Amino acid sequence: MLAILKAAQVSKIHEHGLIFKKQRRVLADVSLELEEGRTIGLMGDSGSGKTTLGKILAGLERPSAGSVIFQGRDISRLRAKEFLEFRRAVQMVFQDPEGSLNPRKSIERSIHDVLSLIKIPKSEWKERTLDIFETVGLSEELLCRNPCQISGGQNQRVALARALLLNPKVVILDEPTSALDISVQAQVLNLLKNLQKDRGLGYLLISHQPEVVSFMAQEVFVLNDGRLTKSN
Amino acid sequence: MSMCHDMNAPILQVVGLSVRFETPLGLVHAAEDVAFDIHETETLALVGETGCGKSVVASAIMQLLPGNAVVDGKALFSKMDLLKLEEKEISRIRGNEISIIFQNPSLSLNPIIEVGEQIAEPLQVHRKMARRESHHVAKGLLSRLGLGERSLMSMYPFQFSGGMNQRVMIATSMILSPKIIIADEPTKGLDRALARDVAAEICKVMDLTGASLLLITHDISLAGMISDRIAVMYCGEIVEMGKCKEVLGEPLHPYTRALLDCLPERGFKPIPGASPSMIHPPQGCKFHPRCPHKTQECMQKQRIRKIDGDGRQVRCWQY
Amino acid sequence: MAGDFKRMASCKATEWVKIRRLDMRGLRMALFGLLLFLTIIVLAAFSDIFAPYDPWNRFEPFLAPCREHILGTNDLGNDILSELIYGSRVSLIVGFGAALMATLIGTLIGLFAGYFRGLIDEMLMGITDVFLMIPQIPLIIILAAFLRPSFWLVALIMGALWWTSTARVVRSKAMQIRETSFIECSRSLGFSHMHIIFSDILPNILHVIMPKFLLTIASAMISEASISFLGLGDPTMKSWGMMINFAFTRGGFINGYWWWYLPPGLCITLSVLSLVLMGFSLEEREEETMRIE
Ligand SMILES: Nc1ncnc2c1ncn2[C@@H]1O[C@H](COP(=O)(O)OP(=O)(O)OP(=O)(O)O)[C@@H](O)[C@H]1O
Ligand SMILES: Nc1ncnc2c1ncn2[C@@H]1O[C@H](COP(=O)(O)OP(=O)(O)OP(=O)(O)O)[C@@H](O)[C@H]1O
Ligand code: SF4
Ligand SMILES: [Mg+2]
Ligand SMILES: [Mg+2]
Repeated sequence: MLAILKAAQVSKIHEHGLIFKKQRRVLADVSLELEEGRTIGLMGDSGSGKTTLGKILAGLERPSAGSVIFQGRDISRLRAKEFLEFRRAVQMVFQDPEGSLNPRKSIERSIHDVLSLIKIPKSEWKERTLDIFETVGLSEELLCRNPCQISGGQNQRVALARALLLNPKVVILDEPTSALDISVQAQVLNLLKNLQKDRGLGYLLISHQPEVVSFMAQEVFVLNDGRLTKSN
Repeated sequence: MSMCHDMNAPILQVVGLSVRFETPLGLVHAAEDVAFDIHETETLALVGETGCGKSVVASAIMQLLPGNAVVDGKALFSKMDLLKLEEKEISRIRGNEISIIFQNPSLSLNPIIEVGEQIAEPLQVHRKMARRESHHVAKGLLSRLGLGERSLMSMYPFQFSGGMNQRVMIATSMILSPKIIIADEPTKGLDRALARDVAAEICKVMDLTGASLLLITHDISLAGMISDRIAVMYCGEIVEMGKCKEVLGEPLHPYTRALLDCLPERGFKPIPGASPSMIHPPQGCKFHPRCPHKTQECMQKQRIRKIDGDGRQVRCWQY
Repeated sequence: MAGDFKRMASCKATEWVKIRRLDMRGLRMALFGLLLFLTIIVLAAFSDIFAPYDPWNRFEPFLAPCREHILGTNDLGNDILSELIYGSRVSLIVGFGAALMATLIGTLIGLFAGYFRGLIDEMLMGITDVFLMIPQIPLIIILAAFLRPSFWLVALIMGALWWTSTARVVRSKAMQIRETSFIECSRSLGFSHMHIIFSDILPNILHVIMPKFLLTIASAMISEASISFLGLGDPTMKSWGMMINFAFTRGGFINGYWWWYLPPGLCITLSVLSLVLMGFSLEEREEETMRIE
């Protein structure tokens, strides 16, 4: 099957320090293919560059070398309109759930912003919002609150809901269940699996929990010292 | 760690704590009649579903809730009721005697201050330590948490990975060696091995200074490993509490049993039904809409009952 | 973003307590400032109701305060209290006009520079530096002296010169917020740059812009008064600075007619004070949240 999203020999060097630049090589020649309907698991120690790889695949950071290929084309060569299409098709759910929502907007506003982005008529907003909330298992009581007024796990599911609204082809899940307890974790993982079956989503699942990865993924990779190795 | 400390007096005693939030849609009952003791050098784990009010309980003890909260009850710490203290007194206790490791590192760390400085700052403020010395202490603590590299001290939080920031949070909270540490998901975003290391480091600091720990976590196996007692929360109430081994070994409350059934090694079986609303919680036992053993009695209000002399408590009609 | 950082900060520093206490006092001061300022605005808006006479009406000149003319009259016989009340209009319009313009330009430039960074940032900040180098007050005085502009134009000129500090503050704040993960999240969802800038970043820096806005009003009011006092103002308008100018040039000071020059001076001081009180206490709150964010 043709890969939708592919990282080809991606390297990333982070620089830090004001005057004396220190360089830190995070990724070295990493290649990875994501396909429709499949889940790739990604594991690795804390600070090994998993999030960095996810961001590069989502087009949020530029690789220092190598390229990201979306449906056969290098994303750095896409025209503005095609790039937007790529943006919609590849979604990332971030590791840090509380930080991924604008603290000054109510949950409802945050969701409605996305709905207006994808040009859903206003009359359907309420229905769509309740729909997606039910899908991720949240109650509509939360809609009127701000992100700091809901719990960590609730924030995480709102972030997931926002990404799913766009009908993406590939979702990069950075620790999607880190703030969830096991019962809700089970709910969300089963939900993700069902969505995959229905919509043919491709996932890159970044997680620390071997059980989660082995429950979800067909293939598991491990990042170590910037290199990707397949694990079994 | 897992010695019995029932003999000494509790260092923190929470009695009848309830927290309600005013929202446009009605009152949110985030905690109701929560009561527990923490003894010296003891670790109490607080586990439960997301959104059941664990963080709210922690914040309430430290008087850190936002303005729309109404708090009732008592939290006794060295003969003082923490919930009634003036801002000035409580802020002396915060960090110095009771410290809290927050759940969300990215919101709690200042993005424009170097990591090393953020960890060392409490020492300079509270202990009047010189800058150099405090940085030295900070560096030592960080390297014991697995961040030993020198250059890390002068980096900024946004240049750190999620797990690294998590450990920075732990370091800032522990540097003053407080008497009670409240840790809200301290090992979130850390891999298994590292989580154990970090937990071990927290325990080491506790042993050294004789501190107690209130551990809020989703990781039941971690809770089982390092805590003496465990309290299970559901929808704002503590439904079961007791010695760690007993609660995890032979859970009594149907919710605890269902929760343990979700464990990965038992195949990610979710609890049927949805989490209850906290604005209109179910009448009687709050778990009854999802409980396989419910009877007519369960629709009435429940009190927590002591099962045996060891302080085992269950909030269920069956016992 | 406030949430936990605030709590964290409160756990860390004893300084925080001090700030908190200051905050209570600050709140009272802010309220006082707000009341004062609202009074002035009401006076300006309904001058015709509050003023006892038309300020251009002539009565007996050089009257000391009496029952008919509470603050007396000037050399032309205009009622000073009425002049004072009508004069608030000019001061406020100049102040608001200049501050509105300065804040608008400053915010836009700061937002774009901070968000896009790179070349755009360097260009915009280059322009800012150039503007910073202009000696502003002398320039305004020279322009006023040669062009004899209307007070509207004075306001515009001030506004066009004074946006630099707002731009800098907004830029650094925007850069900081840009790094947070909810902005990254918005980018990943495919929101346009404009949406991110105006809907995500702007609301999160409004609290920095507000005090700056208030302080700019205050300094514009002072400058208008100084220009008028120097005799370079708009002679067809009665402003507080103009009143002092007339009192000065037409013998009010020498003859000790305090009711002529003291009230406008007091009015300027009070309105500036009210703005500064509000601005500072807002800024103080901001400083507190800075440790928080
Ligand atoms: N902007 C940056 N500047 C400098 N270094 C950075 C930057 N962002 C990340 N790094 C470094 O890159 C490395 C990898 O970070 P990354 O966030 O990808 O780790 P991770 O695998 O996601 O870890 P975790 O499991 O803890 O989240 C870290 O060592 C981090 O310090
Ligand atoms: N300021 C607030 N206003 C209204 N409701 C709130 C507020 N803060 C928290 N809540 C609600 O109180 C409940 C408990 O929240 P809390 O943060 O304690 O959950 P938690 O047990 O820590 O969950 P998690 O494990 O996901 O962090 C949640 O349902 C949340 O929506
Ligand atoms: S009280 Fe009844 S409904 Fe509640 S947990 Fe016990 S058996 Fe189930
Ligand atoms: Mg990460
Ligand atoms: Mg929590």
